[in-house]
Amino acid sequence: MFLLIYSLLFALTVIFALGVLLFENTVKSAVSLIFTMLCIAANYLLMRQEFVAFIQIIVYAGAIMVVFLFVIMLLNLREPERTPWYLRNMRYWAGALAFLFFFVLAWAIQVFAVSDVAPGAAALEELRRESGQAEVTQLATLMVTQYVVPFLLTSVLLLVAVIGAIVMARRKDEDGHEIVLDEEEEDA
Amino acid sequence: MEPVFEANLILSTLLFTIGILGVMWKRNAISLFMSVELMLNAANLAFVSFAFQLGLLSGGILVLFIMAVAAAEAGVGLAIFIALFRVRRHIRVDEQDLLHG
Repeated sequence: MFLLIYSLLFALTVIFALGVLLFENTVKSAVSLIFTMLCIAANYLLMRQEFVAFIQIIVYAGAIMVVFLFVIMLLNLREPERTPWYLRNMRYWAGALAFLFFFVLAWAIQVFAVSDVAPGAAALEELRRESGQAEVTQLATLMVTQYVVPFLLTSVLLLVAVIGAIVMARRKDEDGHEIVLDEEEEDA
Repeated sequence: MEPVFEANLILSTLLFTIGILGVMWKRNAISLFMSVELMLNAANLAFVSFAFQLGLLSGGILVLFIMAVAAAEAGVGLAIFIALFRVRRHIRVDEQDLLHG
């Protein structure tokens, strides 16, 4: 039963990911990506990482993809994607390289990954049972003790990103002066 | 029953490969960005799989950091695309050949 659910999830994830690649329409591609992320969240749930799964749904499938869809809507990219002649041959080379990459990694996984013993999963269960804490509590404790420096650096990164996004999205004329929105029509 | 560790790694590799193909095949900058998100998701899946297999909690923390970086990347990148679209009226990446837009 578990194997059936897991196989279904595996197939769905790959199909939706292929949809991201193969849909010509950007909106369909984005919706396909949302479903891929939901499938990955379900996979996290199977691995008992509940907090990460819900953050995946809220932040990735929710927030980030809404920004993507919003920008797609804002730019209104109508024209179909036509491939110029100089890119057609490159596609085959790119595909060959990507599949070479996939087979090398798959071979490495087959050789080096050990899946018949899963002491870690049992250890994780044991840890959770004896500490009596939820996963969120343990993650939070780890985040403000061992990982406190990356945590603070992430806040700085997000601040820089917010300021950068505002600076990039501002309108300027040729001389670099700010354009006052009242004096011109909105066209974009 | 436990999820299959190797199958999860293979799934992660597959998603990463599809992301690479998207980055190399697509010309639309937004499609390119979505492929990069797919690759980040593949890395997240590998992190969580390893964390579950090895009984560590750090995998989840790294996933949270990656999500923060992805959010920052999406915000700044999409702002750049909007600025680019105002100048060029398209965002095909192979035709952007000037650093000042």
